[in-house]
Order: sequence, then structure tokens, then C-alpha cells
Amino acid sequence: MIQLILFVTLGAGFLFSLYLFARRGSHVEGSAQDVFKARQALMALQSGLLPPEMVERIFAKSDYEYVMAGSGHSIRELFLAERRKIALLWVNQIRQQVLNLRQFHLGSARFYSRLSMRTETKLGFEFFTLLCICRTLQIALYLRGPYAAPRMVGRATAAAARVCDISEKSMSFVKAAQLDALGDDSVHKLSVP
Amino acid sequence: MRNTLKRMDVLEAAEDLRRRTLSTIDRPLDRLIYLASTRDYNTGFYYHDGLASCFPQEVVCEALADCHRDAFRELVGLSLEDMVCQMDAYISSTNTNPGDFVAAWKKLEPYRVAVPVDTDVLTTDFLFSNFKIALAILEARLDSLPTVAPGAWRHPSPAR
Repeated sequence: MIQLILFVTLGAGFLFSLYLFARRGSHVEGSAQDVFKARQALMALQSGLLPPEMVERIFAKSDYEYVMAGSGHSIRELFLAERRKIALLWVNQIRQQVLNLRQFHLGSARFYSRLSMRTETKLGFEFFTLLCICRTLQIALYLRGPYAAPRMVGRATAAAARVCDISEKSMSFVKAAQLDALGDDSVHKLSVP
Repeated sequence: MRNTLKRMDVLEAAEDLRRRTLSTIDRPLDRLIYLASTRDYNTGFYYHDGLASCFPQEVVCEALADCHRDAFRELVGLSLEDMVCQMDAYISSTNTNPGDFVAAWKKLEPYRVAVPVDTDVLTTDFLFSNFKIALAILEARLDSLPTVAPGAWRHPSPAR
């Protein structure tokens, strides 16, 4: 009886392993799609989310002062609600793009880039710090409004810029034009020159 | 090589458009709405007869799209106060009753179809949000003004 239970348990274990293996099978680690996705995330961060002029516009104190100075209660409420919505969208998008970049570094970067142990450790630490800041910022913005944590906004932007710098270096082996051509190709691996 | 030549044509066409047409439209909001109106809603292609007489349609389309993106960026970069001024001036230029205009814009949100394609969600949402706040501010200003007879807004009587 004990032997039967042991065999059934082992069999179930093997089946479960096969199931997990089959689930992973559709995704090829180090595929062009991973690099393409990471490159897209990098571009979204550098051109859309991190430029100082965009961050300044979203969290502009002058807009706040303008509304508070000459508007009624309902407009103030509307303004704060709208700005909070935009600020939360900004943090969410940064977080999402950073997660995409981290996915690339965890799964695919080792196929292409030769990052030193020191750089890898630094990058890991930067990812961890940035994701923590994003979470804290989300909570602060949600609870206390869009102007609750201006310093944290600056720290998130700076940390994200550092992550972008390192990621850009680790992706420098492939040109943007090559990636555009390979964007649709999810199965072929890029050849390292 | 062909792409470079085409790009140069696009830049030339865009410059032509800026010099002849857009330079006469002072406000970025007006430029955005004008450029959005040159786009076919069904296909997303831009058309301009004047430019089409000098450049191929493909080049015209890209030049208009470039200028549209510029106007969009310019508008996004404005402070809320400037945005309210832009809206106010735009309303005056349309010669409609401001109350009707604000009510229609709040309900229909026509600015949603005035943005260029391929703009990112955050920037677009930010602009829409600014439109919403600016309209609320203008509506509150209109409410605080003494009531005037319907249709009398900014339309001087012939006797004057």
C-alpha cells in the first residue's frame, strides 16, 4: 500500500513537472521578442515617462497654485482628482516598463550582454530600490494626493534613469533598425556580432 | 537613400506648411484642431490640396502628421492657466455662445479625436485631463457672470 502511494505521488510529481515544462515551452528564452520588448520598454521610459518636462508638467506646482487661488471647491476637487489619476498612471507605467526590463535582464540578458558581476549586482539593487519606491509612491499618491511626495517623484525618476542607462548599455549590441525588423519574429534568436 | 530623399521632401513640405498656413494660426490649440480636421477619420490619412499640388500625397500626409504632433506637444507643454486662455480665445474665435460651447465640449469631448495617432496613453490622458479642468474653470466663470439674454453673447446688435 505504501509503495502504491509512493508511486502515485511520484507519477503525479512527474505529470506536474511535465505540465510546467509545457507551459514554459511556448516562450523561448533569449528570443528576439524579449529584446524587442525590452527595447520598447526602454524607449517608453526614456521618451515618454522620464523626460523632465513631462514630469514637471504632471506635478507642476504652478497649476496647483493657479487652481487653488481662484477656483471654487468643486474645481479644486476635480483638479486634485484628475492630477492624482494622471500621477498614478505615470507611476504604474514606470513600474510596468521597469518590470519588462527586469524580465529581460533575468531571462535573456545573459545570452547577449557580458555584464560584470558588479554591474549585475548594482542593477539588481537598482531594480529592487526602484520597484520599492514605485510602490511607496503609489500608496502616497493614492492616500495623500498628487503633491504628497515630490521628493519621492524625483528619486523614482533618478532611479529609473539609472536603470535605463545600464539597460541601454547591455542592449547596445543590437541596433534599433535590427530590432524593428525582428519585432515580429518571436522565435529566432539574435546573433551576437 | 530613397528614404533620406523622402524624409527631406517631408521636411520641406512641413516647412512650407508652417510658413504659409500655420504661421497665420497663433494658438497651438487652433493649430491642433485645424490639423486634426485635415485628417480623414476613416483612414487616418491627412489631405491638403495646396501642398498636394507641390508634393506627392505620401509626403503631404507625413508632413501634416509631423506638424500635428508638434502642435500636440506644444499644447501638452502649456500650463493649466495658459490652457484656459487658449480655450477662452478659441471659444471667442468660433462666435458661438460660450455656454453652449462649453456644454457641447463637456458632453461630446471632441478633443478626443483631435490627437495624433501613436501618441502615448499618459500624454494623451494628461491633455484630456487638462481640457476637462479648463472647461470646468470656464464654465464656473460663465456661471459667475451676470446673465445675459440668450443669443446676445458677444454678438453686438446692428444698432451698435
